[in-house]
Amino acid sequence: MRPLLEISDLHVHYNAVPAVNGVSIVIGAGEIRLILGANGAGKSTIIKAIIGLQPAASGSIRFCGEHDLRRMRPHQIHRLGISWVPEGRQLWGTLTVLENLRMGGFIERDAARLRRRIDELLERFPRLGERRNQLAGSLSGGEQQMVAIARALVSSPKLLLMDEPSLGLAPFVVRDVFALAREINAMGISILMVEQNARQALKLAHWAWLLETGRIVVGGPSDEIAATESVQEVFLGGRA
Amino acid sequence: MMLFLQQVLNGLIIGSTYAVVAVGFSMVFTVLRVINFAHPDIFMVGMFAGLAAALHVSDNIAVVLIGGAIGAGFFGLVLERLVIRPLRGRDVLMTLIATLGVAIMTENGMAVLKGPDPLPFPVLIGQTQFHLGGVQIGERQLVNFGLSLAVLGFASWYVRGTRFGRATRAIAERPDVAAAFGVNVDVISQITVVLASMMAGVASVSVAALYGNAWAFAGLLYGLKAFVVMLVAGNRYFEGVVAVALGLGVVEALVTGYLSSSLSDAVAFFLLIAVLFVRPSGLFGSYAS
Repeated sequence: MRPLLEISDLHVHYNAVPAVNGVSIVIGAGEIRLILGANGAGKSTIIKAIIGLQPAASGSIRFCGEHDLRRMRPHQIHRLGISWVPEGRQLWGTLTVLENLRMGGFIERDAARLRRRIDELLERFPRLGERRNQLAGSLSGGEQQMVAIARALVSSPKLLLMDEPSLGLAPFVVRDVFALAREINAMGISILMVEQNARQALKLAHWAWLLETGRIVVGGPSDEIAATESVQEVFLGGRA
Repeated sequence: MMLFLQQVLNGLIIGSTYAVVAVGFSMVFTVLRVINFAHPDIFMVGMFAGLAAALHVSDNIAVVLIGGAIGAGFFGLVLERLVIRPLRGRDVLMTLIATLGVAIMTENGMAVLKGPDPLPFPVLIGQTQFHLGGVQIGERQLVNFGLSLAVLGFASWYVRGTRFGRATRAIAERPDVAAAFGVNVDVISQITVVLASMMAGVASVSVAALYGNAWAFAGLLYGLKAFVVMLVAGNRYFEGVVAVALGLGVVEALVTGYLSSSLSDAVAFFLLIAVLFVRPSGLFGSYAS
């Protein structure tokens, strides 16, 4: 089957300093795949290269086999069905919850359809429904993460990029976020997640790569990756 | 007491024009991160476009207003495409200096074409004076005030109530995230400049009709005030910019009424600078840049 997203030999530099060094990854339809890595390993840079916010120096990023994302601008890439839960949530804090969701569906021009889609999501996230007219910046961290995820779903994407969704959240909220990722995946949305929270993320993902200083050092089915020595040492606190 | 009320009223009327220019200036800065020093000259171009419409098309006020808005809007469109867009994303000083250059060329170009002195503006509005209690207000002032409020109402509706307006605020806060959710930042930027320019065009015709003249250097004082109003209010809240602009108008009018008109700018600017000492990011807060 043709992969949904195919990245080969991606190189990204920040002012000539290499951040991503020849990364090749593939995500198929319906999968959850995970990039594990420490701070500064280049995880977020890969995400930003996919959505067009960080230009790549070389390599290719293809979506559904036909779209060369490196030649496209962020707003065009989003229209293909790629959505984003940014690191640290990055809500529009001066907009209300409802306005954030409407911006999540900016590409939907049919106001009635957009309203229905948002109503569906608010049913799934009743707490956000209660707070729909509050400024997003006034919500708690966990609520903000739910807004960030709901915002990313309004456009009904094919691929969801989740950049450290557990960052800065209380443990019980992290559990909710990962359960939600599984639910989203069950709706048929593929997920590429980057995380440092290896224990929970590895349980969720079908496949995982370990990224170190811009290079993939190992990749495979999540249970195999969980058993490798380097992941055990770095992320899971020694041998189980 | 009557002098006080009269001057407050006069101040609100002139302040409403400052508000229209300042809101446009602030919208452009907020969305594009560009200090557009040519904004005052967009205002001036709108004034002369209105004058041309009045002389060559019709002196119906609606026609003249549309002429001013179209002239200013077109000038803004060309400015965005040829000067601002190629320099955006570089140092903020680049666009500042480039637009300042455009401003100087436009003003002096217009002075060469039309002369350095004010030209008479056709009479569009009557001179009736209305008396309300001991306070009086002229028909022209009333029209000027009404137009300003209408333009501000339109801008508020656009920014708060429309899909593109929401995108405008989203870009103001997080341009990258807006782009990643499908907003074409270039398109919204261009629309913002054109709308701000058309607003300035309407304000300029309304001012020309109020004072009865058009002048190549008319933009200067309005533009400088708009800039300072934005700094003092902060660019975060539309209503904050309007409030400071109205306040500036009132302070000027009171100084004119009680002290001297030659002191009014000095006192007003002194107060504005004093505010900036106390609250450097503006009275109502600014977007982080």
